[in-house]
Amino acid sequence: MLTFLEFINAVWIGSVYFISAAGLTLSYRVTRILNFAYTNMITLGAYLAVILTLNGTGNLLVLIPIVFVAGSLLAIGMHYFVFSRLMSLKATPLMLMASSIGIWIFLKYVYYGIVGYLQRAWKVGLYQATPNLNLDWGLNAYGVELSGAFVASIALAAASILSLYLFLIKTRMGKALRAVADNPSLAEVSGIPSEKVMYVTWFIAGGLASLSGLMWALFSIVTPEVGDSLILEIFAVSVIGGLYSIPMTAFGAYVISGAENLLMPILHDTIGLEVSFRPFIAFFTLLVVILIKPPLGAAGALPYRFRLRRRER
Amino acid sequence: MNRRRAQATSKLIVMLVVGLVIGFGATYAYYASAPAGVTKTVTKTETTTKTVTAVGAAKEYTIGFTIPLTGELTAIGTNWKNTIEMAMEDLNEDVASYGLNVKFKAVVLDDKTTPEGALKNVQTLYQSGIKVIIGPAASAQVKAIKSFVDENHVVIISPSSTAPTLAIPDDYIFRTVGSDAIQARALATLAYEQGVRKVVVFHRDDEYGVAFGNFFKKYFEEMGGTAVDMKYAVGLPDYASEVAQLSAKVKEIGADGIVIITFDTDGANILSHAKDDPVLCSVRWFSAEGIHGTPELTKPEIVEFINKTGFYGTRPLFRENPIYKQFASRFEERYGIKPVVFTSNLYDAVQLAGWAILKAEEYDGAAIKEVVPEVAMRHYGASGWCILDEAGDKLMQDYAIWTVGSTPTGYDYVDVASYSGGTISWG
Repeated sequence: MLTFLEFINAVWIGSVYFISAAGLTLSYRVTRILNFAYTNMITLGAYLAVILTLNGTGNLLVLIPIVFVAGSLLAIGMHYFVFSRLMSLKATPLMLMASSIGIWIFLKYVYYGIVGYLQRAWKVGLYQATPNLNLDWGLNAYGVELSGAFVASIALAAASILSLYLFLIKTRMGKALRAVADNPSLAEVSGIPSEKVMYVTWFIAGGLASLSGLMWALFSIVTPEVGDSLILEIFAVSVIGGLYSIPMTAFGAYVISGAENLLMPILHDTIGLEVSFRPFIAFFTLLVVILIKPPLGAAGALPYRFRLRRRER
Repeated sequence: MNRRRAQATSKLIVMLVVGLVIGFGATYAYYASAPAGVTKTVTKTETTTKTVTAVGAAKEYTIGFTIPLTGELTAIGTNWKNTIEMAMEDLNEDVASYGLNVKFKAVVLDDKTTPEGALKNVQTLYQSGIKVIIGPAASAQVKAIKSFVDENHVVIISPSSTAPTLAIPDDYIFRTVGSDAIQARALATLAYEQGVRKVVVFHRDDEYGVAFGNFFKKYFEEMGGTAVDMKYAVGLPDYASEVAQLSAKVKEIGADGIVIITFDTDGANILSHAKDDPVLCSVRWFSAEGIHGTPELTKPEIVEFINKTGFYGTRPLFRENPIYKQFASRFEERYGIKPVVFTSNLYDAVQLAGWAILKAEEYDGAAIKEVVPEVAMRHYGASGWCILDEAGDKLMQDYAIWTVGSTPTGYDYVDVASYSGGTISWG
């Protein structure tokens, strides 16, 4: 029998996956760079949540913009120092992806170094930590009890997606982003500054990544490996969304999270599948979804207008 | 075109040479100023600084270490690094105080808590001529390196691998910690004496967890209880879904107790989710040693959960050991944090390695392997008597029963009882 806790977990984790995958999809869509160092931005958000609330006086509302901006700055830094220089040397997307792997490994061990140093300097355990936030205000409605952390995360996710949607649809910069995503050459010719658009994209993607790290910190324990352990699921979710469509990414996020949290117990109860098969279930679901409805983007089945653009490059 | 290319190539070569020179120089200067006995890979003979009549260069021996500085056991691995530093200094001081003109050096490598990482490190250390390696931490890693070290005659001393399935006589692997066959009996005795009769054993799906789970089930059922097995995949970021299923299982079979066999990160994660579940809060919880020392458990919400469920755990600890108390207070004074689980076993492993190398009189794997049991038999260290059994594992292992309670300095781990030879004595 499925418990209420399992539904809550499915929604919660699904939202975390969705926000991070949305950022990743957006960044890939506009810049054509598959950024492996995305994981570092997630870990940054998670660790900032821990470090800034160490002395117990953390306020979530203050934390959110700080975390967002920190992630954005990291992403912009990556683009400025690495990607834009490589792109000006006419690097192919594959080379950019390989360079992002380099950044990923480099930053991961920088984090280990910083966390180790802070742990020694402040005499507090930081290799596995949770933020000290006062979220005792749970919601109690219709006999159902929801923890404050859950409500805060869901509210944050909803607010982020709504803001993203309004930005992309209503503002001029959002329209410019979408133009560059669809057809960069035509956008350039029409006078849209593609460099500026890229920086705005990284600003948003980095911020979303950090926010998902913050949501993760509210849910579970933070270690320097947080981003890495999530990256497989996030790529899976992004692939279901075809690295193109944000609504499909949402679908993918909740499908994968549902498979892990709801399908798994059902299988365990009915056919006695061992609980240790959970990772298998998640990726089996990914395979099934891709086979039933092949998504756009990444490796194949691009619609006509994308194919044209590829040959231009 | 040719001239331009030749110029560019020669510029590149010059830059490469300059870079290498700067790199070597900087590394040499850095390591030359580092304290003795820590991660030195520069082969430089030194003379001892003691005013002893021995003249000439000190004989140098290198001990390799492969520890989990990153990965799943990173919180433990970094604590171990401090222990290694202290242990190597103490070893060198000891050896010098006996008038021997010998110096021990450590080479510490990170194995990322993976079996492949451990194997790679052992091979790397072996290739640089090191014949004695301390580590790795996890039983799954020890299993991965076993055939290589047996073939190539490299002595391994693991301070924390406890899977009973690796208790194999006459191999190159020694373990300065008692096998979990003993701890499983201790945990089963504890659970039974505390009054639970039906438990769910929630354990890691790896060498350590599966072996421990099987032995626990065997002993618990011998005593008259029933145990239901539930394993979870290791290395996942989060266990919320597994905890939810644990809750469903507990409700389904009407269990009155849960036994968890975890490492530190996954254990803390599991407890952080379990505290929100009413079903799980109403049963008794018992744990093995993996989760001991995690700072997460001293947070108020988790302490509340621990008190509500009468949470007790076992951990290897030699009773009434003055050397351990000395070691722990020196460690805390020097590094500002408490030593975590298995640091005493690691400290003794370093001592054993050093003295065995000296006793064997030649730095050869096969020779050292022969003398390790003899050296261990006469050694009483921070982890108590180090005498080994025929399988090369610690023969006499006591366990402490611990929980988290309030102390003058806040919430902290406290030992409330001890287990020795089948009986638990409280207080």
